[in-house]
Amino acid sequence: MQAKELKCKIAGIGAWGSYFDSWEALQQLLGGEPLPETSNKGPKPTIIPANERRRAPLPVRLAVESSWQATQSAGIEPSALTCVFVSGLGDTDLTDYMCKTLASEHKELSPTKFHNSVHNAPAGYWTISTGTMSAANSVAGYEESVSLTLLEAMIQCSTEHKPMLITFYDSPVAEVLRPILNNQETFAFSLVILPYNSETDGTTVEAQVAENDHASWPMLQSQSEYIGRLYSDNPSAKVLCLAELIAKSSGEQSVVMPLSKGSTMTITCT
Amino acid sequence: MKIDIIDYESCSAAGLNLKALRNSLKQYNSGLIKNNLPGSDLDTWIGLVEQVDEVNDLGRWQSRNNALAALGYEQGSLRETVTGLIKKYGAARVGLVMGSSTSSIDRTETAYTKLDQAAQLTEEFKQPLVHNPHAPSLFVAHLTGITGPSLTINTACSSSAKVFASGARWLEAGIVDAVLVGGVDTLCLSVLHGFNSLQLLSPNPCKPFDQHRDGINLGEASGFSILQRAGENINSSGICLTGYGESSDAYHMSHPHPDGLGARLSMTQALERANRHAAEIDYINLHGTSSRANDLIEGKLISELFPSSTQCSSTKAWMGHTLGAAGITEAIIAMDTLNTNIIPGSKNLDTLDEALSLSIKASDEHKVCQHVMTNSFGFGGNNCTLLFSRSE
Repeated sequence: MQAKELKCKIAGIGAWGSYFDSWEALQQLLGGEPLPETSNKGPKPTIIPANERRRAPLPVRLAVESSWQATQSAGIEPSALTCVFVSGLGDTDLTDYMCKTLASEHKELSPTKFHNSVHNAPAGYWTISTGTMSAANSVAGYEESVSLTLLEAMIQCSTEHKPMLITFYDSPVAEVLRPILNNQETFAFSLVILPYNSETDGTTVEAQVAENDHASWPMLQSQSEYIGRLYSDNPSAKVLCLAELIAKSSGEQSVVMPLSKGSTMTITCT
Repeated sequence: MKIDIIDYESCSAAGLNLKALRNSLKQYNSGLIKNNLPGSDLDTWIGLVEQVDEVNDLGRWQSRNNALAALGYEQGSLRETVTGLIKKYGAARVGLVMGSSTSSIDRTETAYTKLDQAAQLTEEFKQPLVHNPHAPSLFVAHLTGITGPSLTINTACSSSAKVFASGARWLEAGIVDAVLVGGVDTLCLSVLHGFNSLQLLSPNPCKPFDQHRDGINLGEASGFSILQRAGENINSSGICLTGYGESSDAYHMSHPHPDGLGARLSMTQALERANRHAAEIDYINLHGTSSRANDLIEGKLISELFPSSTQCSSTKAWMGHTLGAAGITEAIIAMDTLNTNIIPGSKNLDTLDEALSLSIKASDEHKVCQHVMTNSFGFGGNNCTLLFSRSE
């Protein structure tokens, strides 16, 4: 069977990292502006109730902040969106906490830290904070987290005709695991996408899957050392190759992403 | 929506494969034993797959979770079926969706007990492809030779139910011609001591829906199913995935919604997608963890939504709650009733919870079913319902 057309419209974008706190600020960095002198400490999304926010781990706060920005810029009620959240590495601070505790004599875990350790904690906090009762998926794809998640969400948007929220997030890796999972950067990015026939002015994105067993992530146009480090180390920041296309928004442009060992996905923006 | 189930296999404490599972269900043999997991002295019962320890030749892929996935994949005709599909369509036209909650954290736990004097990972445990949440799919892609899109779903205890929904969508979108969906989770200290911290473990064999139930037993399992678009493979199992529902509770990270609103949504969505009425559902394999809260809320909801002609059971007293593998384990038990014509009983049920009124009993029942359902609910309020039907 021939693949169906996977075409959607981007209605809203959110972004958060150590040197940007919005999509506008990220676009300035992608456009060559110098880094701000001081870095951001960590997002404090007010949508999470204060007592929960204090205990919410960084990946949760990153994902919720970026998701909130995207829904605000799309002007869409968060609860109307079906969600796919992705992190390539998960919450390694909590993995580290649990494994250290369990390797010690007293194996008593904090119940809050335990339930926060599930990979879908950000999706859980998001749906609880916004009253979203639609499906909230939480996936992982290691180095291909971005392409796999875009595919999953664009298929759901096209085949089930659902407006979707896609959130990519990864935070710095705990010290013990750093030699094998080498990410020191904080990054979150969100897209609100709508079925192609929706009445909105946003950029159109189309995905096409092809067989190809020799693919690597494309070079970024940005010359920034910081952006380059994000892109190479943080699995979720692989979305920057798409972000650059959206930021330019001039005519039809494509980017080819590795999808799996034997396939690639081309995203075309118009 | 119509997706054919081409093949399926299950591996748990209740049976190394589907054949052994059918036998355990028939003989009322539970796989639950007193907790003897090394390093854990918790007073509870577990569903351990003893043969996992024999799978120790995975090299850089070694973890208990990967070993259980490998053991499960060797059962029945799975390997033969997948190899045939790869030959027919090409490895890149076969997709893979795995569900797991622990991924390979068992290996990370072990690595932390063997750090060197500088508190660094030792050489044996420097396994980037194992210590990450995508590990189950990375490994199963390696194991099977599948090179098409391979995704891991980690939504706690609904993970490997949701793999069917994603697999079905991938097929409908035409990006692949077949999808291997699976689930795998292994017993480890994180889950035992984690659930213990939430005071959810029972010191006794679990008794889902019983008036005197006092908590859950954890287990480990792997399971696989192969999906294709309806009619494209003459060697189908005679079972179709006809509906699925996915929803969120929007209530609490670890407590189900008190009125089961999210669970209601996922069940009604599955019925709508399959274009079926509640009265047409012959059997529901319930999430039925044996926790006080889940069984009360799920049980009440079932009697609100379904007539008494819909038979129900929880099969968790056979292999325990296998977390991220529970979705596919119970999907397989539910769909297999369409082949065996035997509805499994709700083992260890003596006295139904006084607050509940639903068609559930301890003994099995011979019944030719047409449509069956299964529920899976996870932390974060993540719900999934699957509906399977006999092929027409």
